[in-house]
Amino acid sequence: MEPLQLTAEQSPLLFLELLYKLRVRDVMAKDLVTIARSATMRDLKRLMQERKVSGVPVVENKRLYGIVSIEDLIQALEKNRMNAPVSEFMAPNAVTVEENMPLSIVMSYFNKYDYRRFPVLNASNEPVGIITARSINSRLLMELFRELARIENQYVLPVDDNATCYFKTYRIQKADFDNAGKASTEIKNVLRDRGIAAKTIRRVAIAAYELEINLAVHSDGGTLTFRADEDEIQIVSKDQGPGIADVSLAMKEGWTTANEWVKAMGFGAGMGLPNAKRVADEFHIASALGVGTNVTARFILPKAVPTPPASLPAAAVPGA
Amino acid sequence: MKLSELLQAVEAEVLWSDPAHDATDVANVISSDLMSDVLMMDAEQPLLLSSLVSDQSLRTANVVGAVALVVANGKIPPPNMVELAQELGITLARTEMAKFEASVALGKALGR
Repeated sequence: MEPLQLTAEQSPLLFLELLYKLRVRDVMAKDLVTIARSATMRDLKRLMQERKVSGVPVVENKRLYGIVSIEDLIQALEKNRMNAPVSEFMAPNAVTVEENMPLSIVMSYFNKYDYRRFPVLNASNEPVGIITARSINSRLLMELFRELARIENQYVLPVDDNATCYFKTYRIQKADFDNAGKASTEIKNVLRDRGIAAKTIRRVAIAAYELEINLAVHSDGGTLTFRADEDEIQIVSKDQGPGIADVSLAMKEGWTTANEWVKAMGFGAGMGLPNAKRVADEFHIASALGVGTNVTARFILPKAVPTPPASLPAAAVPGA
Repeated sequence: MKLSELLQAVEAEVLWSDPAHDATDVANVISSDLMSDVLMMDAEQPLLLSSLVSDQSLRTANVVGAVALVVANGKIPPPNMVELAQELGITLARTEMAKFEASVALGKALGR
């Protein structure tokens, strides 16, 4: 097998951090399939077929005696010795790892030894699991997805002089009335700096603010994403719950589930979503109970009409 | 009508103002305690009159492009609201008048 290229110089810090943070016990398969020394190679074949494994630790009384793999089974088949005990074919000195080891060390084991699996021992030297490339892959992918989602939510495209697109995601906390509205204020300022027409700014700001207030009032927390391109502006609100039972009802003016406390803040009149829809050129809402709600409000910007240079005669302007 | 004249009409105490606002021409007044309603109204560069004292009344004023927020019913906005008014560039004032009285005074001043 091609050795894994994992050097501290080349790997991103976040990835290295993950390799040190994750322990063998977080990654290993815990439903350990084992076999006794006295079992036959035929028993092993059946076990491998039934449990769909390619390597089995040889264990008796919580003690590891070795490991027997599909390669050993092929040997037994070739020699026509399927009735021989497992103890004759197993590798007696299996390389093991401890459950507290960081994943980084195990990864180096895969390069150092030519094995595809390592039995995992606890502090009392009892086998408690097995670690394979597959178990590492699935766990690492899961952690990387989680990490990427976190980064994605923080990611802000820097606005340089030539940038035509501005993109930012704000995290809105549940019931955080002290900060609700801050994102909308910032969005409004960005639009003003981009030279957007005052009437459009007002419409975008209203939608952003209504959706931001909704996130604080109704959701378990979520994100408000703002994107400004040359020809359109988008506000996207996403949350992870609780979701809306009846979206058509929520879109009805005056329908509200807000409590008295929210009403005392001047909101909860059941106008938020209808008003965000009113000001937007396009409006989409999708929601599922127990999953969350996604709302997108789009604003189409009028195409900038190129003004011909004053010195050019009118006839030289295409279409004039 | 100039913002400064409208503020005089309700005998307002100005807590923070942008000097540039004094001469701003204000033709619209929104009088409401329900910010949801304020957000539904299409009035250009309005003065917002409200008895709701909270950051959200200022943020709503900002979103609808209001030049000023006048707090009615003799309520006193806390110092953090004055700071926010400054940050948002919205003139913040208060009046001892009840919201109805203040609405009438503003209406008369605007010749309605």
